[in-house]
Amino acid sequence: MIDLSPVYSEMIVLLIAIAIPAIFFATRSEKLLGIISAVGVIVAMIPLITFYISGSEPVVFAGGLIRLDAFAVAFKLVFLAVALYVIIASVRYVRGERHLAEYYSLILLATLGMMLVASSLDLITLFVGLELASICSYALVGFRKFDKRGMEAAVKYFIIGAFSSAISLYGISLIYGIAGSTGFAEIGTSLATASGMDPAILLATGMLIAGFGFKVAIIPFHMWAPDVYEGAPTTITAMLASGSKKMGFVALFKIFLIGLIAVKADWDVIVAIIAMMTMTLGNLIAISQSNIKRMLAYSSIAQAGYILIALPVGTEYAVAGGIFHIVTHAFMKGGAFIAVAALSTVTFGESISDYKGLAKRSPFLAFSMSVLLLSLAGIPPLSGFASKFWLFSSAVDAAATPGHAWLLWLAVFGVINSAISLYYYVRVIKYMYVESGSGESIRLPGSMVIAISITLIATIIIGIYPSPVLDLCREAARAFFL
Amino acid sequence: MFEQVPILTALLLVPLVGSFLVFALGNTQRRASIIALVVSAIPLVLSALLLIDFQLGTSTIQFVEKHTWIESYGISYYLGIDGISAPMVFLTTLLCFLAILFSWDVEHRTKEYMGLMLILEVGVVGVFTALDYFLFYVFWEVVLIPMYFLIAIWGGPRRAYASIKFFIYTHVASLAMLITIMALYFEAKPLLGYASFSITDIATVSGDFSGVFQVAAFAALFFAFGVKMPVVPFHTWLPDAHVEAPTAGSVLLAGLLLKMGSYGIIRIALPTLPVGASTLMPLMLAIAILSILYGSLVCLAQKDLKKMVAFSSISHMGIVLLGISTGSQLGIAAAVLQMFSHGLITAVLFMMCGVVQHKVGTREIPLLGGLAQKMPIAATFMTIGFLASLGLPGMIGFVAEFSVFVATFDSYAWILFLPIASVAITAGYYLWALQRTMFGPLTDKIDLTHAHDTNWYEAIPLAILAILIVFFGMFPSVVMDFITPSASVISAALGVG
Repeated sequence: MIDLSPVYSEMIVLLIAIAIPAIFFATRSEKLLGIISAVGVIVAMIPLITFYISGSEPVVFAGGLIRLDAFAVAFKLVFLAVALYVIIASVRYVRGERHLAEYYSLILLATLGMMLVASSLDLITLFVGLELASICSYALVGFRKFDKRGMEAAVKYFIIGAFSSAISLYGISLIYGIAGSTGFAEIGTSLATASGMDPAILLATGMLIAGFGFKVAIIPFHMWAPDVYEGAPTTITAMLASGSKKMGFVALFKIFLIGLIAVKADWDVIVAIIAMMTMTLGNLIAISQSNIKRMLAYSSIAQAGYILIALPVGTEYAVAGGIFHIVTHAFMKGGAFIAVAALSTVTFGESISDYKGLAKRSPFLAFSMSVLLLSLAGIPPLSGFASKFWLFSSAVDAAATPGHAWLLWLAVFGVINSAISLYYYVRVIKYMYVESGSGESIRLPGSMVIAISITLIATIIIGIYPSPVLDLCREAARAFFL
Repeated sequence: MFEQVPILTALLLVPLVGSFLVFALGNTQRRASIIALVVSAIPLVLSALLLIDFQLGTSTIQFVEKHTWIESYGISYYLGIDGISAPMVFLTTLLCFLAILFSWDVEHRTKEYMGLMLILEVGVVGVFTALDYFLFYVFWEVVLIPMYFLIAIWGGPRRAYASIKFFIYTHVASLAMLITIMALYFEAKPLLGYASFSITDIATVSGDFSGVFQVAAFAALFFAFGVKMPVVPFHTWLPDAHVEAPTAGSVLLAGLLLKMGSYGIIRIALPTLPVGASTLMPLMLAIAILSILYGSLVCLAQKDLKKMVAFSSISHMGIVLLGISTGSQLGIAAAVLQMFSHGLITAVLFMMCGVVQHKVGTREIPLLGGLAQKMPIAATFMTIGFLASLGLPGMIGFVAEFSVFVATFDSYAWILFLPIASVAITAGYYLWALQRTMFGPLTDKIDLTHAHDTNWYEAIPLAILAILIVFFGMFPSVVMDFITPSASVISAALGVG
C-alpha cells in the first residue's frame, strides 16, 4: 500500500476541481461554486498544517519524485491562501460570466500545479507542475473571451510562456545530459565533481536563467508582464502576481540552490546583476505609470528583484528571507490587486488619477490600500518591512565572509530601491487622502471585503508578530538544505 | 511605585487605544477633540509620575520591560529609560497634550486629525523608550506616517510637495540607519555569542569592533540622525515641511521629531561607537558651527514668520550638536538640556505663528505691524517666546545655550567666537521681527478689523509653556539632575571624562 499522506492536500484540490463542473451542471448555482471551492481550499490546508504542527519527518512519495517537507508546506500554504482569497474575491467579480465552473476549476488546477512544484524533488515533476499551472493560467487570462485586451494578454502570455517553457526544457535536457539524472540531489552530487567552466553547464545555466526568468518576470525577461497583468481579469492578475510568480521562484530556488549549487561561482555575479537591474528598472518604470495595474505590475517586477537576492547570497538565512518575502508579498500584492478588482466591480477606473478622493468614497478600501502599499514599500511595522529586513540583512551578513564583500551592494541597492519605490506608492496614498475627487460613496460587495480583509489582516499580523511565519520560513529553508 | 506596573507600555498603549477610540467614536468635531484631549492627558500624568518615581543620581536604566518578540533573531520588546530619555518622554507627552488642546478648532476631518496625533505620540514615546534596535527602528518609521498625513491633509498650499519631500528625505536617512543596524547586529553576533538586537547588549561588545568599522558605522548613523535633527547640509526638507505643516504639526515636528535625531546620536551612536565618534568629532564640530551660523543668517532674510522660526530651529539644533561634539560631560548634558529647552520654546514660537496666521490671515512680516494694540495677550506670549529663544537670562534657553558655550570653551576655546557670534545675530532677527510685527504703528497694509486676541484653547498651552520656560530657567537643576549621571557615563565611554 502506497503512503498517500504527502499528497492528501493535492488530492483534495484535484477532487474539488473535478467535482465543480458536475456540481454546477446539477445545481446551476453560481454562488455554490465559490463556496465549495473556498471550503475545499481550506480543507486542503488542514493536512499541511497538521503536518507542520506535529513536527513530522519529511515524507518521500513515489520513489523520490515528491517530498513533503517544511519547505513544501510553506509554499503550499501560500498557494492555497492565494487561491482562497482569489476565489472569494471572484464570487462577485465574475458574477454572470460564461463558463464559471471552468473558471473555478482552472484556478484549483493551477493551484494544484503550483503545489506540485513546491514538493518536487525532480526536474520532471517540477516541469509537469509548472506546465499544469501555466496552461491553466493562460486560459484564465483569456477567460473573458470578448474582451479584446484580455485576449491580447492571453495570446501574449501563452506565446511567451510556451517559449520560456521550451527554453527551460532545453536547459533541463542539457543538465540531464551532463548529470545523467533528473533528481535535484543527484544533479548536485554529479556537478560537484564537474569542472566549473564546462561550456555545457554554462549554456544550461544560461537557458535556465532565461527560461525561468520569463516565468518570474525578471529583467530583461519582463516585457510581457505589465501587458498581461493589465489585460487579465484583475482577480487572475492577483493570482499571477502572488501565486504563479512565486512558483517560478520555487523552481529557481530548487534548481540553483540544490542542482547548481556546486557551480555557484559561475552564476552568482550574473544573478546578482540581474537582481539589481530588476529592482532598479522595475521601480523606475513604475514611477511613470498612470494605470494602477501597470504600476503594480512594475512594482511586482521590482519585488522579484528583491527576492532574487536570496540566490547569489545563497545562505540558509537568505533563503529563509526570500521565502519570507514571497509569503508577505503574496498577501500584500495580491491584496492590492484584489482592491483594484473590487473597485472595478463598481465601475471605477483603473487609472491612478481615478483614485483621487477615494478616502471619502470608501474609507475601508482607501485604508486597506494604504496599508498594503506602505507594506510593499517596506514601512514598519507591516509585514513587507519584516521580510525585506531579513532579505537585505542576509546580504549584509554574507558580505562579512571573506571574498564576498560585494554582496553588500545587493543590500545597498535594495535599500535605495525601497526609497525610490516609496515615491510611487505614496503618490497613490496622496491621491486617495489628500486630493479631492468627485463621486458618491462606494459600497463594496461583501465577498470583496472579506478577500481584502484576509490580505490586510495577514499583512498587519505578520508585520507585528512575525515569529510563527518566520519560524516556518526558517524551517523551510533548513529543509531545503538537507 | 511602578514595580508591578509596566508603565512604559502603558505610555504607548494609552495613546494607541485612544486613537482607535477617536476613530471609532469621534463622529463630531467636539467629540473627537474631547476624547483626544482626555486620552492624551493620561500619558502626561503617567510620565509626570514616572519622573517623580525616577531614581536620581544613577545612570542605570530604569523601568525596564523586556519580553521576547522574535526569538529566532534575538529581537525583543525591550523598553527602559535613563536620565536622558526621561525628560524627553515627559516633553513628548506634554507637547502632545498641548498640541491637541491647541488644535481645538480644527474643523476639517477632526477625527482623523486627532487619531493621527495620538499615533504620532505612540511613535515618539516609542523612540525615546526603545532599547532594541529593531523596535527602535519600527517606532522611528511609525512616526513618519502620521506626520506625512498631518502635513499632506491639513497643511498649507504646497502641502503635497512638502509632505512627500519630508517623507522620502527622512525615509532615505532611516534606511541608512537600517543598514547600519544590520551591520552592528552581525558584527556583534560572534562577539556576544548569541543573536541580539538589544542596544545595551551590542554596546557592551561594540568597543571591540575594528576602528574602520566604527568610523563607517558612526558616519552612517550620524547621517541618519543628522537628517532628522536637521543639520546643514541635510536640512532642506525642514523649511518646506514646517511652513506647510499645520500649527500643531509644526509644534510636534520641531519640538519632538528633531529631538529624535539628536537623541539618537547621544543615546545610541556615541556610547555604541566611541572610537568612531571621537574620530569624527572635528567633523561634527564643523557641521555644528556651520548649522548655527547658517541657520541664524538665513533667518535674517526671512519674510515669513514661520519660515524664520523654522530656520532658527536649524541654528538651535546646531547648538545641540555643538554640545555633543565636545564629548565632555557638561557638553553632553548641556546638549540634552538644550533639546529640552528648544522643545518648550519652539512650541511657543510655532503656536504664535499659528495664532498670527489664524487671527490676522498672514504671516508676512512686511505686512504686519503694531499687532500688540489689537492682540495684547498674543503679543506678550510672542515676546516671551522670542526672548526665551534668543537666550534671555532667567529662561531655560539661556541656561542651555550658556552651558553649551561653557563646555565648548573647555574643549575648543579658540573657535568659540564663531558660534557665539550667532547669539548676536539671533537677538537681531528676533528683536527686529518683534518690532516689525507686534510693536510700532498699526499696519494699514492688511485689513485688521476682524483680528482678535488669542482664544482660551490657545492661551492655556502658551501659558503653561511660558511658565515652564521660566521655571526651568530659574531651576535648571531639576532637569540637570536627571541628565548628568547618564551624560557622564557617555562622555566617559568617549574617553573625554
